[in-house]
Amino acid sequence: MIAHSVFFYIFSLIAIVSAVMVTVSKNTVHSVFFLILDFISISCLFIMIGAEFLGMIMLIVYVGAVAVLFLFVVMMLNVAEQKGQWFSSRWDGGTHIPIGLLVSLIIFFELIIVIGGWKYKPDLLNSLSINISSEVTNTRSIGNVLYTDYILLFQISGMILLVAMIGAIVLTYRKRAGVKRQSYVKQISRERNEGVDLVQAEKNKGVKIDA
Amino acid sequence: MENFQYILPEIFISIAIMLFLLVGVFKKNSSNLIYSLSTISLVILLALIINLSSLDKIYLFNSSYKIDNLSNYMKIILVGSGVFVMLTGSKYIQVINLNKIEYPILILSSILGMMIMISSNDLIVFYMGLELQSLALYVLASFNRDNLLSTESGLKYFVLSALSSGLLLYGCSLIYGFSESTNFDQILINSTEFNYGTTFGIVFILVGLAFKISAVPFHMWAPDVYQGSPTSVTLFFAILPKIAALSVFIKFLYTPFANMNDQWQTIIVFISIASMIFGAVAAIGQKNLKRLIAYSSISHMGYALAGLSTVSNQGIQSSITYISIYLVMNLAFFSCLFMLKRNDKYYENIEDLSGLSKKHPILSLSLLIVLFSLAGIPPLAGFFAKFYVFLAVIEQSMYFLAIVGLLATVVAAFYYLRIIKIIYFDPEKEEYETSHNLGLKITLAISTIFILAYFIYPSSITEIVSKITMI
Repeated sequence: MIAHSVFFYIFSLIAIVSAVMVTVSKNTVHSVFFLILDFISISCLFIMIGAEFLGMIMLIVYVGAVAVLFLFVVMMLNVAEQKGQWFSSRWDGGTHIPIGLLVSLIIFFELIIVIGGWKYKPDLLNSLSINISSEVTNTRSIGNVLYTDYILLFQISGMILLVAMIGAIVLTYRKRAGVKRQSYVKQISRERNEGVDLVQAEKNKGVKIDA
Repeated sequence: MENFQYILPEIFISIAIMLFLLVGVFKKNSSNLIYSLSTISLVILLALIINLSSLDKIYLFNSSYKIDNLSNYMKIILVGSGVFVMLTGSKYIQVINLNKIEYPILILSSILGMMIMISSNDLIVFYMGLELQSLALYVLASFNRDNLLSTESGLKYFVLSALSSGLLLYGCSLIYGFSESTNFDQILINSTEFNYGTTFGIVFILVGLAFKISAVPFHMWAPDVYQGSPTSVTLFFAILPKIAALSVFIKFLYTPFANMNDQWQTIIVFISIASMIFGAVAAIGQKNLKRLIAYSSISHMGYALAGLSTVSNQGIQSSITYISIYLVMNLAFFSCLFMLKRNDKYYENIEDLSGLSKKHPILSLSLLIVLFSLAGIPPLAGFFAKFYVFLAVIEQSMYFLAIVGLLATVVAAFYYLRIIKIIYFDPEKEEYETSHNLGLKITLAISTIFILAYFIYPSSITEIVSKITMI
């Protein structure tokens, strides 16, 4: 129990500190680093209470997709503090490296705790407050209720995603004039006599094109 | 399946949204068609809801969805005003070149979200409905994306609304943590004894809801968003989200938190007083009519909340009556605003109204009636709305609230009357176009006649509303 609460407080502390760092650090790239750290710490917390499905989804969706996307956006928009330096060929003295190293070190440390505990002492990290049956996996138990008891919520989330998609298209799609597009139908249905013109070339006279 | 018919309105509108989207994708230049189809589908939706309104109380989806008198009445006025919003705005969005297929579809999906909010009996269902409606509203606010003000208003609304959603969710998680349930009825059963966690949860949820209803001190987004959005969207903003948020307010205060009224009553009284005073005072210096109506709506929300703070059925009913009359007055006011058009340009400043009475006597007369009603001058409908609220407040001997409310009415009357003075006594300006589409004329006629004739038959609303009891 003591080990459990010690780990809980470690993870929570890291999560809270990195959440604060996301908002206070002036360098946007550092903010994203701390955001990733925050996500990973929270997914460790999920794994600790036995919700491994949520923890893994958190890792895949938030760290794997959202945070990396953030990182891309931050770099592409060049909103980092050192304006104009991110893509410049000049070596910037490696200001990101210490922070990046620190964040990845903490992540490494967290992973050792979680995976090590999971591997060698399975009862170490199990929470006593929530009853999760060990026979049924998380994924299965979520699937059991998602399409039955919570069907309304499932459907509403579908509508929300639809609206989000419509909104993104409305606000960003612009019809551009003069864009050349490939038309397969036009290409395939082209006949020989449309494209090739057979001309009887006379000696020493050549052929006049576009006559 | 035996309960299928009760959820039919929601299913109908969802299918309509997807169908219209498909029509819009595969049929070229179908924006006008989809606009009219959406208006018709709203009318059908209204009929479906009215068809269900004889039911007393139905629980669906593991009692996370509740259909009762409150939700039925609120949905009827919601969809009814949705129809009128579509009718009045049809010409406007064509003129300012916003006639895209997505516009009516976003309005429909926002209405769907509001219907879910109104019927929700569960924290998660409520939050999903709220997100569905606000997501559509963010896009609608910045729909005129080439206009700087519109984009700004959309972004502002998005950022502030996301913040308030965060606070609301935090409140929900606290409530869930301390009462061990997300179901409203179950929360009521489980939270019999006082604890700080629940109180904090209530405060956070009330903050989030007060933001959605634009009550002081969470009102700062309203004037900019109202001014920046296209006018047809402003009309939508001024009416429909308020109906949904007010019914959620009633639901929260009188279902899960009914035992804790000593905790929330002071909060509601404070928000109500602050909104009434601020809305009245801040509107005085405004030059833009849309901004003015934003401040006016803030103070009107204050009156509606005053009714809620009384912890009595009479108070709830007075609030519901208030919002019903408020939406009619807003419809009438915005119909007048849509008529201020000259050479494909819409005018929305107070000075544009100068001397309107000389060349447009009927329009000026309707504006006069609407503004008198907004100011609460008898015997117009706006007076009765305030009258019921103050009656309920005084019945519970909350004299301070009543006195402040009355004083705020007097202050607010100043800026409404100033507009009337400008219309009737200032030098006249160029003539506006007089040919308007039928929907606009019908809306203005119906709403003005309602405001004028309400005193003849005041039980028309109060009788229906008196069926809604929460305590």
